[in-house]
Amino acid sequence: MKKLMHILFLSCLKATELIEKKLHFKLSITEKLQLRMHKSMCDACTMYEKQSIVLEKGLSSLKEDNPDKKELEQLKKIIIQKLESTGT
Amino acid sequence: MLTENLLLTDWVNTYTNDLYSWALHKVSNSELAKDLVQDTFLAASEKMVSFKAESTPKTWLFSILNHKIIDVYRKKVNQPVHLDNQIFSKYFDEEGSWKTEEKPREWHEDETHLLDDIDFVAVLQKCLDALPENWSTSVKLKYLLNKKGEEICQELGIAPTNFWQIIHRAKLQLRDFIEKSWFKN
Repeated sequence: MKKLMHILFLSCLKATELIEKKLHFKLSITEKLQLRMHKSMCDACTMYEKQSIVLEKGLSSLKEDNPDKKELEQLKKIIIQKLESTGT
Repeated sequence: MLTENLLLTDWVNTYTNDLYSWALHKVSNSELAKDLVQDTFLAASEKMVSFKAESTPKTWLFSILNHKIIDVYRKKVNQPVHLDNQIFSKYFDEEGSWKTEEKPREWHEDETHLLDDIDFVAVLQKCLDALPENWSTSVKLKYLLNKKGEEICQELGIAPTNFWQIIHRAKLQLRDFIEKSWFKN
């Protein structure tokens, strides 16, 4: 019975894969339907999708800490020197 | 030419900070980021003729930098993709259902509140850095230039299937890390 359910409405493994796919690619109509059916029966995957979207937003907002000012001044000097030596 | 050199020097002083932050954000390696910024200006000095006044210097420099960043990723991604299935057995049983103890749990936290929390973002960064390298590369790559999945795959010459399968593995682990380190109870 479980096997048949998986074929019709996906396993959680396959469902989570489609959830990730959906964030970046278009799903086929069958995939969309299967995923919707799966989620209607599976709280864990519904939760997974919700959290995955939160992570998605978090990831795209990640910023590095401000770099060391001294290092950047040093970098500027080096670049300007290089430009002058190649520029002429 | 003298005027060009003066202009470039001015740009170095004005835009290095922004270019560096962006490069560092994308490649997560300060030495590599510095090299990329330097290469950007060297490339710019060679291509000054192609700089059109209709684009701003900043946009132009960033487009050069982005191409250089993509090259870095392209080299990394072109290494053979390992899609091991070991990670799946950690979270799913043989039939592909969530293992009871690994099921995602309710986080009990408001999304906007969560993303505004500096500590949470720091944990997220830490978890991202803890991923195997070819996974974290792919995850970071996804945010490169804010492009759609198809465009990125095309640009990098990898199959879309490979791409989201890597993302899938990375996300599973990332979600798990976060749940265990942030939502301990």
